[in-house]
Amino acid sequence: MQQAFQWYVHSCLTHMSGAARLGWTAPDMPYRHTKRETCVKRNLRPTRLLAALLALGLIAAACSSSSTTATTATTQVNVPQGGSLVIGAEQEPDCLDWIATCGASSWGYWMANVTTMPRAYDPVKDGDQYGYVPGVLLTGEADLKTDPTQVVTYHINPKAVWSDGQPITSADFKYTWEQIATGTDIYDKTGYSDISAVDATDPATAVVTFSTPFASWKSLFGGGYGVLPSHILSAVPDRDAAMKDGYKWSGGPYLIDSWNKTESITLVPNPKWYGPTQSHLDKVIFKFVADTSAEFQAFKGGEVKMIYPQPQLDVVDQINAGLADTNSTFNAETGSYEAIWMNNAAAPVDDVKVRQAIGYSIDRDAIVNKLFGQLGVTTALQVMNAPIVNAYSDTQAFAGYKPDLAKVDELLTSDGYAKGSDGIYAKGGKPLTITVTSTAGNKRRELTEQVMQQQLKDAGIGMTIANQKAGDFFGQVLPAGTYMVGIYAQQLTSIDPGRCGQMCSKNIPTDANGSTGNNVSRINVPELDPLLAAVDNTLDNQVRTDKNKQADGVTADQLVSLPLDPLPDIVLWNKSVVGPVGDNAVLGPWWNLQDWGVTP
Amino acid sequence: MSFESEISPSAGSAGQPHFDRERVGDFQPGDMATQLEQGLGRENLVGLPEEGESQLSPGVEPEARTQWQLFFRRFLRHRLAVASLFVLIIMIVLCFGASWIAPYPKNAQDLLALPKPPSGAHWFGTDDLGRDEFTETLYAGQISLKIGIAVALLSTLIGTVFGAVAGYFRGWTDQLVMRITDLFLVVPQLVVLAIAIKRFGQSDTMIALVLAALFWMYVARVVRGQVLSVREKEFVEAARASGASAPRIITRHILPNIIGPIMVNATLAVAGAIIAESTLSFLGFGVQPPSTSWGNMLSNAEGAVGTPKAYLLYFPGLMIFITVLAVNFLGDGLRDAFDPQSHE
Amino acid sequence: MASFLIRRLLYSIIVLFVVSFFAFAAVRATFNPLAKLAASKDVEVKQRESERLGLNRPMVVQYGDFMGKFVQGNWGQSESTHEAVSAMIQRSMVATLQLIIPGVILSIVAAIGLGVYSAVKQYSAGDYFLTAFSFVGIALPPFWFGLIAIEFLAVQPKSWFGLQQTPLYFVGLHSGDGAGVNWDYFRHLILPVLTLTVQIIAGWSRFQRASMLDVLSADYVRTAKAKGVPRKQVIFKHAFRNALVPMVTVMALDIGALFGGLVITESIFSIPGMGRMFLNALQNGDAPVLAVWVIVTAGFVLLFNLFADLTYGLLDPRVRLA
Repeated sequence: MQQAFQWYVHSCLTHMSGAARLGWTAPDMPYRHTKRETCVKRNLRPTRLLAALLALGLIAAACSSSSTTATTATTQVNVPQGGSLVIGAEQEPDCLDWIATCGASSWGYWMANVTTMPRAYDPVKDGDQYGYVPGVLLTGEADLKTDPTQVVTYHINPKAVWSDGQPITSADFKYTWEQIATGTDIYDKTGYSDISAVDATDPATAVVTFSTPFASWKSLFGGGYGVLPSHILSAVPDRDAAMKDGYKWSGGPYLIDSWNKTESITLVPNPKWYGPTQSHLDKVIFKFVADTSAEFQAFKGGEVKMIYPQPQLDVVDQINAGLADTNSTFNAETGSYEAIWMNNAAAPVDDVKVRQAIGYSIDRDAIVNKLFGQLGVTTALQVMNAPIVNAYSDTQAFAGYKPDLAKVDELLTSDGYAKGSDGIYAKGGKPLTITVTSTAGNKRRELTEQVMQQQLKDAGIGMTIANQKAGDFFGQVLPAGTYMVGIYAQQLTSIDPGRCGQMCSKNIPTDANGSTGNNVSRINVPELDPLLAAVDNTLDNQVRTDKNKQADGVTADQLVSLPLDPLPDIVLWNKSVVGPVGDNAVLGPWWNLQDWGVTP
Repeated sequence: MSFESEISPSAGSAGQPHFDRERVGDFQPGDMATQLEQGLGRENLVGLPEEGESQLSPGVEPEARTQWQLFFRRFLRHRLAVASLFVLIIMIVLCFGASWIAPYPKNAQDLLALPKPPSGAHWFGTDDLGRDEFTETLYAGQISLKIGIAVALLSTLIGTVFGAVAGYFRGWTDQLVMRITDLFLVVPQLVVLAIAIKRFGQSDTMIALVLAALFWMYVARVVRGQVLSVREKEFVEAARASGASAPRIITRHILPNIIGPIMVNATLAVAGAIIAESTLSFLGFGVQPPSTSWGNMLSNAEGAVGTPKAYLLYFPGLMIFITVLAVNFLGDGLRDAFDPQSHE
Repeated sequence: MASFLIRRLLYSIIVLFVVSFFAFAAVRATFNPLAKLAASKDVEVKQRESERLGLNRPMVVQYGDFMGKFVQGNWGQSESTHEAVSAMIQRSMVATLQLIIPGVILSIVAAIGLGVYSAVKQYSAGDYFLTAFSFVGIALPPFWFGLIAIEFLAVQPKSWFGLQQTPLYFVGLHSGDGAGVNWDYFRHLILPVLTLTVQIIAGWSRFQRASMLDVLSADYVRTAKAKGVPRKQVIFKHAFRNALVPMVTVMALDIGALFGGLVITESIFSIPGMGRMFLNALQNGDAPVLAVWVIVTAGFVLLFNLFADLTYGLLDPRVRLA
């Protein structure tokens, strides 16, 4: 999302720019200094969105004293000290043992991981794109040696301490790696299983040696997990039992005060937090409110002062109906994107011409406009990847797929189809009908299906809808491949453009690998495999980017699937919440919670 | 009849207790006059003297009437039931005649339009896709009513068979059937439904079958109770003595005499089935687009509470309510007509 | 009596085993607990988890393993949250009971009162009104009533009267950080209890009325009236007691079914009770949790069934418990 105003950022001065003085801000972009010391004039393109935004928060420039350290943005408005904040949370995490299978919850991550776990690198927006920047845990960029093997050396900030006062050391890095790599109940070992050794002889330096190159190494020791305190956890018999219901230690700005199951999670400030800002708030309560309309009722009624709703249609209605005293931010550059995934092994969509015909039949812009037009997103996504990896993507790869009935006709007739009397193409007596499956009860997707149905019918392709319950859809249908076309979203939890898991032919779930592959779309394009593999293994950023863009081109030519739209992040908060309230597409809205305050 | 406590017409639905044990008669096999007064009840059975042969004072010749005529007369006296019958007929005509009556074609979307509240052009308003709610409600009614009636008929059939077998043969057959019934009653119905629908697909037929499989127990219990009380009658003994086979006795002698309660239960089961189907669809286990049912429409409208779109909630629910209410009144009227002893 | 009890208990236990096995096996076969791992980039995670949870073993073995631990008091851990199942059940039960107890008390009092009044004053205006009410109550789909109640008893009044907040709450049982029984708690409780009791009261009061009328028309009542016993005594000493007998049975059966059955109310009002626990377990394919849930709820149903049979036998001497 681009900002609408010329925006000047001056180093060493903390006055507001002219625009900011008028009350307009760039709500969703925490600014960080790059390695250069000078400030950069950020020239940002205007969009329509700003006209639709209700009100905006304030953001200030960062001022750094050190040349190579990235710091978090600090506020320049005097944020009041004290007070508590109640935030509505749509989902309760299953458990808080981050590395276990039960710990993979986005909400759990945003609420309790980002606020309590130390991270080596932070994903932040640098200009218009996301990238990794060293966090306060490190003194600067880690050293990367690429040959003969990949070796990363982390320099740990000497001020970094746990909430009990013990320093964060390389032993913690080593412990974290061991737990993940050798554990049995681990959600995702990717990357950690490529590490052959962690040298913790020097407590201030962690030397991590890789057995195979892992390109997204910046997402390790941070990412979805963080760094675990070895001195605390190796002293208990069962790490999972010690963490799953909440834990009393922290390496971040907050401590978990309590987790009342089904009710709320409460955070309190970590007095030993070593970052630049201490929490202004005395208490932050995340109250679980299960459904969207209840969430909005609670927000309007003042029961909660902030919500982070799913981008569903009800949200659009609620916002249109009017929300008093509310600021909002809307971010379409997120890690989630919805696509029309095609089962490349199921007839008739196993035929590339049929897939392309579908691509030319659907007016994706109209669908996206209908779904999010009122929130300012009117054009479809044109690459099979999330916006947070735009730096690596050919963002216009699919732009050629606009509704073109002539092309549809050309493709299908050249493939042996002929239009029947009912207006539907048929080959050998069988009409061309596709079955679309998605998660039942998701209005956004159901709406998409219904619009698609009409559009396809107009183009001469029949379509039936066969929705499933989410658990069944993701758990049975997709792995088994008992679907033809599926509509669902992919969510990236790190700035990693890699898609080999979903698109490399070796990852197709078969009986041979016990149906454990993640390439549920059964994409099998020979040119694609080596490109995607290279994206995962190439440590040179430029080469990596080139390979990824080539891969994008191939996915578009073969139309392995059809991207639809990025799923925007919507943050709504009451005007009494002040500070640099915004959103981070990976870390969630509470990545800088310690900078916020509430006016009484 | 709360779906809360599973999808069942609770005991409170029929005015009759439906326990599976004998009621050692609480009536005195009193004078014929009393029996005849009561007309077509469990006391007035096929095989007894015609009504014409009464023991009233000579000189008075009551008009000879058949059982069915009596039934109709009593039914017509129940004005609410008659009115409900009309309402139901109108409902059925409206819904099944939707292709002629509805002002807009089914599923006619107008994507760029915002949902509008009820107005002259759209009596029930429009929804997110710009579809006319009135049209959608009518078409949805087809599914809801179809499933409701199908479930009632099927479950009545199954339940009658089981109940009659259990009640007539008694002994271990009875025990077996009753234990099967108990098992079905104890199984959490949502589990069965969720799993069956997942395994066998979410077609309307499957939903009807599964619901029928969860309703028959109640009919079975009622029928069993009725059969138990009827089988001791002399005419049944007479039939048995004259060598009639069991199925013949059941179908020719016993069932016709308990047709009343069976019909009443079947009618009330329609109401229960409609509510059950709509609740299922509301929870997401029911019919799938493009077919809609009233429950489905309500499920879509759930998020509309508290928004200007709240009108989407009113009409499908109102339709369910009116239909079920009418069916209940009808059932009540039928029960009165069959057995005026129940004093409803 | 004792042999009856023992036989019923044995039978109940067998039923519980059968039903829980069915639930366990059916859920395992239909819902995949590894579904949420689909988002993981780790290609081996499903294999790992499959082995760890023993999902590849035959169903009977898995169930046997689970049951073996269960009867020893280890109710296991939820596969998705690792929380002890006994703790989950306890928590959910507490929430559901907060709806059931006031609901049932309200229903009993209201239903009996209305039913008796209706029967005694048959054909009066009050009777017609109450009969109409009970018909309406039975016909109302509970989920619709819940939503309409929210709309017209909470949301609309806020704008009609220009209030700061809605007069009645409909999310959960407490606001913010609150706890305990206070005014806020009642404001949360009223709508869900109302939703769940409307149908029950409607059904029970009709039944009570029918039962009462049945009894009032019986010969022995006529005899008592003919004997000159005062009307009040006739009603309460003779008629009411006898009318209550079938009522108790019906109530017991219905209450037993309530324990696992408040799915709709809990769903609409976001109350984390047994119904919600069930839906979550189903979605997550969490077979151990579901099996325990089934045992608990079926256990309650059977318990109340037994209670119903017992009381009927006790209260009605004409009936011998076979």
